[in-house]
Amino acid sequence: MSKIVDKVLDQHHREEERKVYSSREGPPESNVMKRKKKYDSKLEVVKAITDIMLSGDVVGDSEHAKEETSKQRLLSSYFAFLFYKVVLLNMYLMFGLFRYFQYQYNKMKLRILSLIYNPTSTPQLIRQDVLKLNKIPKRIAAILEMKSVGDIGGGLEGLLNDASEVICWTVSAGIKHLMLYDFDGVLKDNVDNLILEINEHMKLYYGPANVPNYSVHIPHLNKTYYSSEEIKNDEDAKKSIVISVSLLSNRDGRETIVDLTRTMSELCASKEMKLSDITMKLIDTELTHLVGHEPDLLLYFGPSLDLQGFPPWHIRLTEFYWETDNDQVSYLVFIRGLQKYSNCKINVGK
Amino acid sequence: MIYEILHKLLLEYLFLPFNHLLNTVTELYVHYRNTIVSWLLQYRLIGWILTRFRSLFISVIKVGYVPQHISFIMDGNRRYAKSFDLPVKKGHEAGGLNLLSLVYSCKQMGVKCVSAYAFSIENFNRSPEEVNTLTTLFAEKLDDFAARAVDYTDPLYGTRLKIVGDFSYLSSDMVERIRRVEALTQNGDDFILYICYPYTSRNDIYHSIFNTVDKKINNINTKQSTDNSTIHIKDFSNSMYFDSFSDKCDLLVRTSGHNRLSDYMLWQTHESSTIEFTDSLWPDFSFFSLYWMIIRWSFF
Repeated sequence: MSKIVDKVLDQHHREEERKVYSSREGPPESNVMKRKKKYDSKLEVVKAITDIMLSGDVVGDSEHAKEETSKQRLLSSYFAFLFYKVVLLNMYLMFGLFRYFQYQYNKMKLRILSLIYNPTSTPQLIRQDVLKLNKIPKRIAAILEMKSVGDIGGGLEGLLNDASEVICWTVSAGIKHLMLYDFDGVLKDNVDNLILEINEHMKLYYGPANVPNYSVHIPHLNKTYYSSEEIKNDEDAKKSIVISVSLLSNRDGRETIVDLTRTMSELCASKEMKLSDITMKLIDTELTHLVGHEPDLLLYFGPSLDLQGFPPWHIRLTEFYWETDNDQVSYLVFIRGLQKYSNCKINVGK
Repeated sequence: MIYEILHKLLLEYLFLPFNHLLNTVTELYVHYRNTIVSWLLQYRLIGWILTRFRSLFISVIKVGYVPQHISFIMDGNRRYAKSFDLPVKKGHEAGGLNLLSLVYSCKQMGVKCVSAYAFSIENFNRSPEEVNTLTTLFAEKLDDFAARAVDYTDPLYGTRLKIVGDFSYLSSDMVERIRRVEALTQNGDDFILYICYPYTSRNDIYHSIFNTVDKKINNINTKQSTDNSTIHIKDFSNSMYFDSFSDKCDLLVRTSGHNRLSDYMLWQTHESSTIEFTDSLWPDFSFFSLYWMIIRWSFF
């Protein structure tokens, strides 16, 4: 049934260059926490909290208040409403204070942990950390995001740097498959730069003489790139590949599933395929061809879990790991994710 | 060398004693909490105060924002039963009761839709006795619930109950029973409760694909519409089990400490919903923990 895959891929090749999405609505908490650059000083944190409270008040006044008052025009119920509103505001204030201290505590914890887990580009240290674990995942995925150009580690450079760091850690940990997801597909668009950057990092980790072989695959376009030109035609060298990286974006999520549906309906309409041929197994194999295998562990390097449209079919039993209030692509998230994974047991259905 | 020393120093001398202390305290708390709570609850006054508090809290959150669609993965019933040396059935019963009380609170708060993962298709791999117990328990609860949803003196009055999932795994007797209950409650329109029984999210997506293709072919065969209309994500979402709530789930709660979705709500949560993982077992997951999550959700 690779006919279906071919057809979908053909469609992908023909479609126009997609524009980069600028804004995306994430879950509320991570939306706010990512904007925190503005609220750096304590005064501004307090200001932000009051802002949130005030805006909450305005919302309440415009929508809910009208509804409520039109329903029950009694004066007493209006006072009750005001009373509840005030209590709610106080609750938010207390929550804000609590959240502020929690934030500071988490930051402190992360700082100490990053002292403990500091590999300084040494594969041996990473190896040592990983050898202590009783199982490691076969495939891992990581969600990366491009920070704004003004930030430290922001812009395209920062993203490429983060991606290559994660790749180097994965190689050192001895994991063979890595999926890198970024919402806009920036990594896909800059594959050539990415490969240069990976080479630089590999040299730093393993020395210029023994850069390991790797491949970078873009499932959406079905293209594969290799660390050097020679491997492309050399079958033996392909076996020595230590890591295969695949680059995903939002395009591989819901849209690919709908593409698949569309293609199958066309095939069914032209009688090349029967309706009864569509089974769960078929769809699973097709999506595995189109996107990749399901990862065992998904790492997110943001402040609170935000899946950002990661392909839905592929997170069935995936373990998620993120550090609350962390905003850097740091080794401690990576190694602690592996530690968490090694301790969890998966029993499907039982 | 320095790295090693630092590692040892920090882990063994700083974190471990602290962690140990923390663990002992939480263990003590968990051990005695139930005794303390049940001792307190035997006084009617305290029960009354608690219910008053509950309704006060509900009225307070009502004036703010609440999520439209809350979803629960009810995990940990069996472990709960084991921790009290009770048969597994009791654990599931406790879980069912807890779900009902939370659903009631959600309804009061103004949440439009609650969905719960009652039984996964994979759960058929469990021992036949347990599957049997679960099925009978489910059937009992179903009738119970329907009776409550049409009784206007009951707090759950006006709830529309929908059972979603792959019915091909169920006996025809059961399916008929489900249809009857759904028909009974179909007039409630201010609040919908989806119970996922036997459900997995991949199965949901698969069904949606299948039905969309099926519909398309039928359209072509009967020449009702021109074939130019392409399939869009929005239509695709709407053809899933949760009707208009299929697109997004605002808040997903998973109990008992696993950080994964276990084939539930993949399509609904992978974009912009808040997923909360908590360590407490499902029957222990109380109103106040849920309330805390909702405050957190609406704060941001």
